[in-house]
Amino acid sequence: MRLKRIFSMAWGNMKLRKLRTFLTTLGVVIGITAIIALASLGEGFRMSITERMEQGFELDVLTVIPGSLFAGPGRRFTRIQAENVTKASNVSIATPVIQMGNVTLYNEDKKVSAFVATAVNFTEFLEVFPDRFSFEEGELPEEVKNDTMIIGYKVNHMNETEAAFAHPNDKVNMTVSIPTDQPPYFRLENHTFTVAGTLERKGTPGLTNFDYWVFIPHNVAMKIYSLTDMDFADLIFVKVSDSELSETVAEDIEDMFPPYQITVLVPLSFIEQVDSILNMVQIFLTSIASIALLVAGIGIMNIMAVSVMERTREIGILKAVGAKNRTILTMFLAEAALIGIVGSLTGVPAGYGISHVLSYVLSGFATPQENHVFQRPEVERATIVPVFSWEWAFIAVIFGIAICILFGLYPARKAAKLDPVEALRYE
Amino acid sequence: MTALLEAKGLKKTYRMGKILVPALQRVTFDVAEGEFLAVFGPSGSGKSTLLHLLGGLDRPDEGEVFVDGISFSTLNDNALAEVRLRKVGFVFQFFNLLPRLTALRNVELPLTLADVPEKDSLKKAENMLKLVGLRDRINHRPSEMSGGEQQRVAIARALINDPKIVLADEPTGNLDTTTGGEIAQLMKRLNDEKGQTFVVVTHDSAIAQTADRIIYLKDGLIQGVKEKSGRL
Repeated sequence: MRLKRIFSMAWGNMKLRKLRTFLTTLGVVIGITAIIALASLGEGFRMSITERMEQGFELDVLTVIPGSLFAGPGRRFTRIQAENVTKASNVSIATPVIQMGNVTLYNEDKKVSAFVATAVNFTEFLEVFPDRFSFEEGELPEEVKNDTMIIGYKVNHMNETEAAFAHPNDKVNMTVSIPTDQPPYFRLENHTFTVAGTLERKGTPGLTNFDYWVFIPHNVAMKIYSLTDMDFADLIFVKVSDSELSETVAEDIEDMFPPYQITVLVPLSFIEQVDSILNMVQIFLTSIASIALLVAGIGIMNIMAVSVMERTREIGILKAVGAKNRTILTMFLAEAALIGIVGSLTGVPAGYGISHVLSYVLSGFATPQENHVFQRPEVERATIVPVFSWEWAFIAVIFGIAICILFGLYPARKAAKLDPVEALRYE
Repeated sequence: MTALLEAKGLKKTYRMGKILVPALQRVTFDVAEGEFLAVFGPSGSGKSTLLHLLGGLDRPDEGEVFVDGISFSTLNDNALAEVRLRKVGFVFQFFNLLPRLTALRNVELPLTLADVPEKDSLKKAENMLKLVGLRDRINHRPSEMSGGEQQRVAIARALINDPKIVLADEPTGNLDTTTGGEIAQLMKRLNDEKGQTFVVVTHDSAIAQTADRIIYLKDGLIQGVKEKSGRL
C-alpha cells in the first residue's frame, strides 16, 4: 500500500478521535516547546556573553606575561626580548608595559590610591588599542612629554557624587613606594605630572578595563624605579595582523623563550573555551527539557496501546481482506509520526514565543550590579534576547518525530502481529 | 471440472485452558471452479474454522490447502496475506465493514491495499456496488444502512479484486428470513452470471438449497455430501 494512502488513512483515524489526538499531541508540543525555549534562551545567553567578551577583549591583541602558572612568576622582559617579540611574523606591533605598585596620587587635598598605575609608550599603545581612548576632557598631546598623565574614568570619579579628581592641566603629585634592602625597607619617590586628559567611561569587561588605569610614559617609570634594559617590561601587548592567526603567533612567541618562562594569553581561545562551556550548559538545559518529550513519548505509547485494543476488530478485518503485517505496522507508525510532525512543528514557534516571555520575566530578577565586569553602563536591565536557531529547530523536530515513532513502535508491532482469527472474534 | 480448491486431511485443535478441543478432524474435499458449495452443520461443528483454513486466515495443525494449485503451507504470512488479497474474498456473519468508511470506501479497500490508483479503484468499486444493487447507497456509512445492505457491501468488497473463490461464513445468520433469502439469491446470481466460485458455511437450509453441493459437517468430521437434486 502506498505511503501516501496510509498517511491519509492515519490522518482520518486521528480526526475521528479529536480530543485524544489533541491531548497526545499536546504532550509533544510541550516537550518541544520546552526544548526550543531553553535552546533559544541559551543561544541568546551565549551570544550576549560572547558579544560582550568580544567588546572587552581585542581579539587581535595578545598579552605576553613572564612566568607561567606552573613554573611561578618569571622576571621582567629585557629590551632585547621585547624587540624580538615585535619582530615575530604576523605581528603588526608590540608594546612594553610596566605595572607600578604602591602608588598614590594627590591633587591638592584630593587623594586616590586604588588603581592600576601603568607605564606605556603612548604612541605604540594607541596603535594597539585604537578604539579605547576616547577622552572626557583633554586629549593626548601630539608630543608626549615626560610629565604627561592620562587618567581612567573610574580613577577620576571614584565617588560619582563628588567632583572629579583632576582636570586637564592640573598638576598631580605621584608618590611611589619602592622596596629597599635597608630599613625601613622602602623609599618614597615623588613626581609631578600634568594631566593631559581624562578618559570616558567604557565599562568594558576583560583583562584590560582602562577605567581603573592611570597612564604615564614608559621611560619615566624606568627612571623612577632605576631600571635598566634588563628590566624593560612587566608585560608586552602584541597586536597580530589577523586575529585568526593569534594561536600561531602565540606559539611562535612561546618558542622564542625557554619552556614555561612566559605565558601568552590568547583572547580568541579564551572566548572559544567560554563558548564551549556555554554550549555544554545549553546542551545540559535542553537535555533536561527533553525529559518532557520522553514523558510525551510514553503518553503516545499508552494511548496507542489502548487504540490497538479498541481497533482489534478493525485490524482483523484489514488482515482478512489482505493487509500485510507491514501495512498494519506502517499505518500505526504513520499516526505516531503525524503526532510527532504536528506536535514538533507547533512546538518550535511556541517555544520561541515562550522564550521571549521567560526572557522578560527573568530580566525582572536581574538587577544591574555596579562595577560588575560584564555590566555596560548603558544597560538598564540585564536582558537576554532569545535567539532563534534553525539548527536547534531542526534537531528538535527530528528528535520529536523520532521519539514518537520510537514509542509508537511497540504498540504498532503489537497490532501488526495480531492473529487475524482472534482479532475478528474480538468484541 | 478442475479442482480450484483442495482441502487435504485438515486437522485443527484448539486449546481451551487445559482441555484440547478438536475443531476439525481430517477433513478432505475439493471445490471445482464455478461451483457453489454449502458447508452445512450445527454451531460448533467446525464450520468457521474450516473456512478460516480455506481462506488462509489460519493454519491447520495437519493437512494442506491448495488454492489455484498453490499450497498454503509453503507460504509465509506475507504471501498468505497476498493470497487473501488477490485470490480469496471473505463475507462474514457480522458484515465486518469498517464503520467510519462509506460503502464506496469499504468496497475500495482491497484495491487500495493492492495499490490500484485511486481513480480506477473508485470507478471499479462504484460499478461493483451497482452490481449488488446498491446504486444509491454509495456514500452511506454502515451505520446508515440496513443489515441486508451492509451484507451486500461486504459481498461487493469480497468480489472487488476478482477473487478465485468467495468464502462466506453464515452470510445470512444475522439477517431476517426475507433479507437472508435476498442475499442467498444475490450470491447465486453472481455464481450463475459470473461463474463466481462460492463456499458458503451455513446452518440456514434456504441457502443450502441453492447450492450445487452440500457438505454436512458435525464434530469436525464430514458426515456426508449431497449433490444437487441428489440424495445424501
